[in-house]
Amino acid sequence: MSPLLRLGALPGLALALVAGVAGVQVAAGGGDFRPLQPADACVDRSVTSQADGIEGLTEQLVLLGVDDAACTLDVSREALTLELAQQDEPTDAQVDAVREGLRAAVQELADDDALPPSSELVDEALDSADLNALVAAAIRALPDSVIDDALPTEDVLLRAVDELDVRAILSDLDDADALNTAVQEAVVQAVRDELTDRVRNLL
Amino acid sequence: MHRLVGLLLTVTVGLVLADSAIVTLALPEMLEELDATVTEVAWVLISYNLVLGVFAVPAALKRVRAHPRLLAAVGIAVFAGASAWCAAAPTIEVLIAARCLQALGGAFALVGALELMVALWGERRGVATWVTAGVVGTAAGPVAGGLLTEAISWQAIFVAQVPFAALAVPAALAVRPVPAAPAEDPDLEASHRPVVGHNVTQALLGAALTAALFLLVLLLVQGWRHSPAVAALTVSVIPVAALAARPLARLLRPPPDVEVAAGCLLVAGGLVGLALPPSADLWWTVAPQALVGLGLGLSVDQLTYRAMEGRQPRARHAAWTISARHLGVVVGLAVLTPVFTADLLAAEEPATEAIAALVIDAPLPPGDKVSLARALGEHLTEQRGQVPELSGAFADLEVAAEDEAAVSTLEADLDDQLDRAVSLAFRDSYLIGAGLALLALLTVGVTAAAGAVTRRRSVA
Repeated sequence: MSPLLRLGALPGLALALVAGVAGVQVAAGGGDFRPLQPADACVDRSVTSQADGIEGLTEQLVLLGVDDAACTLDVSREALTLELAQQDEPTDAQVDAVREGLRAAVQELADDDALPPSSELVDEALDSADLNALVAAAIRALPDSVIDDALPTEDVLLRAVDELDVRAILSDLDDADALNTAVQEAVVQAVRDELTDRVRNLL
Repeated sequence: MHRLVGLLLTVTVGLVLADSAIVTLALPEMLEELDATVTEVAWVLISYNLVLGVFAVPAALKRVRAHPRLLAAVGIAVFAGASAWCAAAPTIEVLIAARCLQALGGAFALVGALELMVALWGERRGVATWVTAGVVGTAAGPVAGGLLTEAISWQAIFVAQVPFAALAVPAALAVRPVPAAPAEDPDLEASHRPVVGHNVTQALLGAALTAALFLLVLLLVQGWRHSPAVAALTVSVIPVAALAARPLARLLRPPPDVEVAAGCLLVAGGLVGLALPPSADLWWTVAPQALVGLGLGLSVDQLTYRAMEGRQPRARHAAWTISARHLGVVVGLAVLTPVFTADLLAAEEPATEAIAALVIDAPLPPGDKVSLARALGEHLTEQRGQVPELSGAFADLEVAAEDEAAVSTLEADLDDQLDRAVSLAFRDSYLIGAGLALLALLTVGVTAAAGAVTRRRSVA
């Protein structure tokens, strides 16, 4: 073996092996093997839900609302969710941001024509609402078209958001049933208030 | 008889050097069983390397060296006794004390065994066997420790060493006395100063190899949540590749400095490869480990030869190489442990946010998501400070049959996020290790240049 080959063969082989291994690792995504980066909360994202009815709508509103609130608070959606889950009490800024976020979410779904007719919400809300039987029967007796005309879903939901005790809900995020119940109660209350207003206006 | 004595001494040398990293895979079990802190458990490793590094040179003092049989026998006996004490240690403090004593005995055993192996086989073969036993022991330590921990317990690591060491005591005493080397007159001894360059390279490589031998097993067991046995089998690539280094060097016959330089480059490249895994699949660690093992095999034994070559007393120069390598390991642990500990802590937030994102966007009914989020939150809180095991959060989750596939996918995705976060947390430490190996490469160049200047001057 020539002296030059003796001098260069092993370093050459070592360099080739190192370059080959590092090259394959990087080409296979070695530099990008890192945790998922939270998306920018201020960038629009589409949300869907596996649930139907009020539960599904609630989830969509919450997802959009938390995004909007996170954007307002200049944090990621995930960071805000974790903060809310870990705190005993939400801050005033968080409560305000979430309420405004939910209102913006209603507006966004309305603009996208993605809100269900109010008659669908009313039926479901009445099923689970603790309501005077006579009042419930009276509301059920109304044709869907009357309810849909009289109660735009957007108005019902905005009223529901206003009725919500956001602070209480954020303080008890673990209880999924409580959240749903709160939304359903708020929807029923909104329907009653809306109906009352309409009747009062008619009179 | 001659062969058995040689074999027992060789195994003892391998065991003493394997003990440098043999407990790495057992650390999580020790942490739990001895109710210790992470720092205390780290001292099980640090104490051994520190005492071995500090006492190797004093163990090779002339007066001690004059009685190699006694030196080796006493050293091996202390090593055996201390190993038994390690196995019986009821607290972490006792274990650390026993490890110090084990390393002290090990220092004398190593120096004495070198002299006896030269007496048995002659200078060339004796030194070669001693060096090879050390390299293989260092590389194979974590593998042996992991398999014993998984199969029996961490105590088995120490118990298994006792019979070999106990048998090596009479074996050491059975070797015929070595006649004093003619070169060991005071003037010559004074003129053969330790080779600073090679020992500095050895120390830097020792620090770099800590990243491979210590951090890799931690990543596999603690980070990627594999059993010690799986981790042990995985890291067995390093000793196997180290064994392939000699035939490769014989084939290409490079000059010694070039061989060491190539070894340093391979270690650095292997550590860069470990820093950049494309996934947590164990196969991605194989090629980088092979580079590290090949580099270790090429560099460490060549450095040891070069530091001892033509120098008397050989035991003292051998002791300097042991001292340099193990103090390098201590420096490596001291530098890398705080870095990866801090990085692991910093990885908690992005990992939790990634988990939150996946749960929020999971194609599951909202009620199931909230239940799962609650369970995950509890598990993450319970397991704070360690890489969490998330399967418990899924175990109690009751979902509709049609959602089971989505839940399984989500669980796999969350585990993947943990793997990603942990792998990223180890990245800086591996890259620092690679930097240390490149620094070692630089010292090879400097030492070679200085040697060339000295040779030119002496010719002039």
